[in-house]
Amino acid sequence: MTATKATVPLKNRRLAALLAWLVPGLGHFYQGRTGKGVLYAVCILGLYFVGMVLGDWQVVLWRWINPLRDAENFRFSYLCQFFVGLPALLALIQETLHYYDIPPILGGFMSVPLNLEQQDAFNSLSSKLAKLPEIGSVYTMMAGLLNILAIYDALEGPAQAEEDQCANGGGAVADLKAEKLDEGKS
Amino acid sequence: MIFATINPYVFAPPLVVAISLVYAASRHESWPRIWSHAARLSGSILGMLLLAMAVLLLINSQL
Repeated sequence: MTATKATVPLKNRRLAALLAWLVPGLGHFYQGRTGKGVLYAVCILGLYFVGMVLGDWQVVLWRWINPLRDAENFRFSYLCQFFVGLPALLALIQETLHYYDIPPILGGFMSVPLNLEQQDAFNSLSSKLAKLPEIGSVYTMMAGLLNILAIYDALEGPAQAEEDQCANGGGAVADLKAEKLDEGKS
Repeated sequence: MIFATINPYVFAPPLVVAISLVYAASRHESWPRIWSHAARLSGSILGMLLLAMAVLLLINSQL
């Protein structure tokens, strides 16, 4: 095991990664890396919810359609937004319910427009809010992409932890080596 | 909606700062390093954005 993995408490790293996907920052809270958990939660969830507000809560949607047959209606943006975890998962649930002709839950929140009236309201969003839905999409997509970095951090630890340790005098690494030497002697 | 009256460019700096902080946090475990890396990265990204905008404006004004 490298010094990076040994000096950063990763606990059960796969569980941490799963938690980090479900709720940004949760995996780091589980690992006891509270400060980083707060930073990830504030930055990623902040971006996601500000993006949702900018897009009038209609920028995170999913459709079960084949992108090769209907690329225009395929929601490429959701492929990024999916990585925000639970906050974006409702769109997938709503569309799956719609796919099996089951009525939507939570009053159809985060479901694709089902009737003509909803479709018109959805189409008029861009003209009503100018560039805001576009910016909202970018914010929510970036939130998802940034959470991939956070998930990887929960899984593997920080990329340059060893350099950090060296810059700090290598204390923790030296302690670890000393512990291993002691174990070897005894 | 109150946000509709705000200049869209205002939404770029918070995005840049969030990206820089998350990226820096994924690289380091020590907080001083995270802050300094994030500050440098934010400055670089904003600088590049401004430079690209200046070049595009310059080209546009020549056309």
